[in-house]
Amino acid sequence: MNCLEFERVLPEFLEGGQTPEEHAHLASCPSCSNLLADLNSISSQAKLLIASEEPRPAVWDVLESRLREEGLIRSPEFIPAKTNNFWSRWRTAWLVPVAAALVMVAGLKLFHPFNAGDHEPIAKQAPAPAVVITPVSREDQVVLNSVATRIPAQRARYRADLEDANSFIRDAEQSIKDDPNDIYTQQMLINAYAQKQMLYDLAVDRGSGQ
Amino acid sequence: MRPLKGNLTGAKRLQGDKLTEAEAIEQAKLGNEAAFKALYDLHKRRVYSLCLRMTGNTASAEDLTQEAFLQLFRKIGTFRGESAFSTWLHRMAVNVVLMQLRKKGLPVVPLDDATEGDEEGSIKKEPGAPDERLAGSIDRLRLQRAVDELPPGYRTIFVLHDVEGYEHNEIAELVGCSIGNSKSQLHKARIKLRELLRTGRAEKAGKR
Repeated sequence: MNCLEFERVLPEFLEGGQTPEEHAHLASCPSCSNLLADLNSISSQAKLLIASEEPRPAVWDVLESRLREEGLIRSPEFIPAKTNNFWSRWRTAWLVPVAAALVMVAGLKLFHPFNAGDHEPIAKQAPAPAVVITPVSREDQVVLNSVATRIPAQRARYRADLEDANSFIRDAEQSIKDDPNDIYTQQMLINAYAQKQMLYDLAVDRGSGQ
Repeated sequence: MRPLKGNLTGAKRLQGDKLTEAEAIEQAKLGNEAAFKALYDLHKRRVYSLCLRMTGNTASAEDLTQEAFLQLFRKIGTFRGESAFSTWLHRMAVNVVLMQLRKKGLPVVPLDDATEGDEEGSIKKEPGAPDERLAGSIDRLRLQRAVDELPPGYRTIFVLHDVEGYEHNEIAELVGCSIGNSKSQLHKARIKLRELLRTGRAEKAGKR
């Protein structure tokens, strides 16, 4: 094999199609050996060129303008993905005190001792939802006892609503621990406490016969 | 009480928070500006470098980079994650560049050997003198300049294969040539680069 013949098969040689005859020629020919080494070097060094250049900031500025013109940019706000699970669970958490208030008002209407003739329930209450038995804090127990004294039929429902509110608080507190700087869960923790406070207030207000 | 949305701008929200590419994609589908910026920052170097290498021109590379990302963001709602996002974007950028080259009438694929002449891609040798090696003396800047000097057709094939890592069958599909032609033209591009690099060394040596 001479150099001309080797150069003719060089593209295939570089792609992996190598014969003993070609190797033999390389071993005896410095020119072809140098050529092969250079081509391999060029090929390997080419990878240095990948992602080697940085565009000017103006490139983004123009792109941003075009995105706005086409209406592709629709929201400057960001909904943090990591709180999605929290949100999906507590999206309707604000309903807890509202539902509690409605139930308690209904209970008072049916059981208020000052309404003449209301010694018996007008309608049957829906059965209280199953309550998960978890330890009750001292403060919660005081409120539950108050409700039990004044509106006994509502105790189970009230206990369930308190448990929901406590669970909401626990989740918010855990999220705060994971990221103390997350303003969204900070606000949610405030909301959770506010909801529990509302339940307390309802219990006190209704229990006092207002 | 409704869940609150952030009152911080998306850009601030993302700064200290390592938004994953997947999250940025989902937010971009919603039209979130910060998500667009995050995706752009993540991939801008690769796309811009590709455009610059294939066109050899800064202004063209900037325009094509914008066009590639614009097309990407227009279609991002259709991205389902079947392939890697970077692969999808990269393929889009290559197509944008090739379309531009075709519009300008520049050869995307190198011309036939007959029209280019016998010297193009052949190995020049001085009689009786072994070729000196280049190995060990190729730096990125010199190689970059040499690539910029390649004829457009050779440059396309070389950039797609040796720089960007496309296989010959992929290049053949992208540029509309045969696999054999892709291999042949790549080889000639490398030979040409070797000549350009050696010429550069010779000129440099002569100036000393």
